[in-house]
Parts: sequence; C-alpha cells; structure tokens
Amino acid sequence: MTIADVGRDTFDVFGTTAVLLVSATEHAGPAVAGAGATARAGAGTRAVTAGIAARARAIADRELAAVDLACSRFRPDSELTALNDAADGRPRPVSPIFADLLAAALRAARLTGGDVDPTCGRALVGLGYDRDFAEVRAAGDAPPRLTGPVGPVPGWQRVHLDLAGRRAWLDRGVQIDLGATAKAWAADRCAGKIAAQLGVGVLISLGGDIAVGGQAPAGGWRVRVTDDHAAPPDAPGQTVTISSGGLATSSTTVRAWKVGGRPVHHIIDPATGEPVRSCWRTVSVAAGSCVDANTASTAAIIRGPAAIDWLHDIGLPARLVRHDGTVETTAGWPRDDGPGAAA
Amino acid sequence: MLEHGRVSAPGHSGAEDGEVPGGDVRLAASRARDSGLHRVSRLTWRAGVASLACSAVIGVALAHQSDASAGTTHPQHSTPGQIVIPAKPPQPSGGSGQVNSGAS
Repeated sequence: MTIADVGRDTFDVFGTTAVLLVSATEHAGPAVAGAGATARAGAGTRAVTAGIAARARAIADRELAAVDLACSRFRPDSELTALNDAADGRPRPVSPIFADLLAAALRAARLTGGDVDPTCGRALVGLGYDRDFAEVRAAGDAPPRLTGPVGPVPGWQRVHLDLAGRRAWLDRGVQIDLGATAKAWAADRCAGKIAAQLGVGVLISLGGDIAVGGQAPAGGWRVRVTDDHAAPPDAPGQTVTISSGGLATSSTTVRAWKVGGRPVHHIIDPATGEPVRSCWRTVSVAAGSCVDANTASTAAIIRGPAAIDWLHDIGLPARLVRHDGTVETTAGWPRDDGPGAAA
Repeated sequence: MLEHGRVSAPGHSGAEDGEVPGGDVRLAASRARDSGLHRVSRLTWRAGVASLACSAVIGVALAHQSDASAGTTHPQHSTPGQIVIPAKPPQPSGGSGQVNSGAS
C-alpha cells in the first residue's frame, strides 16, 4: 500500500495534461470507507493511500467524461455539436450538466460585458481550429477555412437557455464554443465532488486551470505561475500558494498556430471575430472558483490596458505579463521578487 | 366563519330597498353585516387569486431571464451576479510549485 502526504496523479484529458493532488490532512469530512483506504501518519494527519488516490481519480474520470460528452466541439456525439448543427432557433432538450455548462458560459459573458463570449465557434472554425488542437498544430500552416473578414461574433444574447425546462437553442447560424469556461468549470466540479465525497483536500489542474477543494495542506498548495502549464518546474514565472478557490492562467503564446502564414491563437476578440491583439501575453487570476478565475484572466487578455483598473475595482488578485516580460499585479497578488521570478 | 355557499349574494336577500321585513331591525342588521363580510371575503379571495397569478407571471419571467442562476447547481463559490474574489489572495512562496498554472 502506497502512503504519502500528498497523492499525485497525472493524466491526459481534453487534449491537455491534468494533475490531481490529494491531501488527507482534513478530519472534518466524511469517513472514507473501504479496506486499506486510510492509514495514520501521525497526530492530526491522515496520509493519502493508494485507495484514496484511486477513488479521487475515479470521481475525476467520471465527471470529466460527462463534461466531454456534453460540450466537446470535436465529438460528433456531443450535445454541443448537436446544438451547433441545429442552430435553427428551435429549443432542444439538454442534459443537466450541459445546461449548467452553458449557464456558466452565459454567466461569464454577462459578467464581462460580452468580452468572454461563447458565440466564437464560427470564428475558431474559420481559423482552422475545428478539431483537437494537437491535430491543428500537427497540420502546420494551413489555408484559412473562411475567406474574408469574419466580423464580430453574433453575441451571447443569441444563445438561449431555459434552465428550468432544460432546453437550449441558438439563433440561426450561431455556433458556440465553451472552451473559455468548460475546462475551469470541470475543475471546480471535480474538486468539489472529490472533497465532499472523500473528505480530503484536493487540487486539480486541467491544463493549468486549477481548482482546490477541502482542507489544503499546511501552508497551502504551491503553484508555479508561468506561461505554459507544461513548462518545467524552473520555468520563468512565480511560485505562490493558494488554499481555496481557483487559479487560472490565460495566454496568447501557447495555443497558437499559423493560418495562411499568419500567426493566430485561440482567444477571440468578440468585437472583431479575430484573435485578440493584447498588450498582455499572459494573465493569471485567483478567484473564488476556477471558472471565475478563468473568466477574469480571459477577459483581461481581451481588455488589454483597461484590465488593470477592472481587476482592481473587482478586487481580484492577478498577475499580468506584457510581451516584454514586465509584470503588473493587482489586489494583493504578491510581488515577483524571488529567484526565477522573471516572466 | 363565513361559508360562501350559505351567504346570499347582495341583491338577493329577499328584502326590498328601504324595507325591513317584519320590522326586525336586528335581522336586517345581521343581514347587512353578513353581506358586508361576504363582500370583504370575496375581495380578499379575488386579491389572493390575483396575487398568485402575478407571482406566477413574475416567476416565469425571472426564470426565463435568469440564464445562469435559477435552479442551477453552480460550481463551488460561484454566484450568478458577480465574479467572486478568493478568500485569501495567493501568498508568496519560494522554490518550485507542486503544479503549474499556465496556458494550455
């Protein structure tokens, strides 16, 4: 039986890397049943066993599979694909999880004044991002799928959700993509369920979108904030600790490719339908949940210089990195003054 | 307590205007009181029905408008009306992280 203070599991999901950390220093949660599930590692500490780690992973797998089936843009059998294919203004029944995912996307749009807009599906397809990103990247420089200017996205007000009736519909021609919120929402959901069902502290990172639940280890979870979630541990950036909520990073430097010889990335400016040209290359935000953190980090990239005042006014701790590597912080985010802090 | 089925409707009391049958003033007063109570009861009933109808209309309208709130099981800490700030901002830490937060 494997025993550790923090259990660690790494796996692939949504075309990216997930990391699941489990800490069993909490005693307030429900007892974990099952032979060999726990062992005492000392006063006040319950060590993580292979049994707990496996249970946590099973919960994550189940939740992530449900999210993928609901809202993958690249699966022909997903609810999102069906909704996009229909896009005829007629209500369609949707599952509870899809309704919640769509609600989260519409909430993000509303809270950002439309800066984080789910109706950027057609714009992304026009840029060739119509399949898993690994395939997009492997395809290399490809001709654009759409010719001519894309123009502003249709707008989130043309997406309709009857939450009580579990029905959703799109105005004619509207195509949605939930990439700006779904992964973060899934991280929140996994962290919440694992903490509640196993009574442990948990951190889950889905491609760098981080949610934590339950009781964090003493001193908090250590997170290296950097451009790329797959960067090595000593990559330029900053190490901070968090104990609750979520932390997310958005960047124009990682999910980037070329179309017709033009470098593009996945963060769409709803006003133009084109990849945003921001003064920030990377923005990290801590919030009460991962979906809120990711909503704010994406909006900050799109808002450009105005993001500083916006984040200050909301009170969101954030770290914003310009293209030259200089860093701005807001609302209590710690200064970059340690070794290896250069962005 | 009034029972609606047993109280005559106004204008069907069997008494002509200005006439007191049998000169029974107490009976007339009783009927007048019953009639008044009946009217109040009917008004109360109608007001109750109207308020229920208004509540239903408002409820439907709000449920339709609230694309992100009503009935939703939100992710932890999410609220429909605002981006939620963390309980505590990130704290400085040296060394490497247990995990990276970066774009993917």
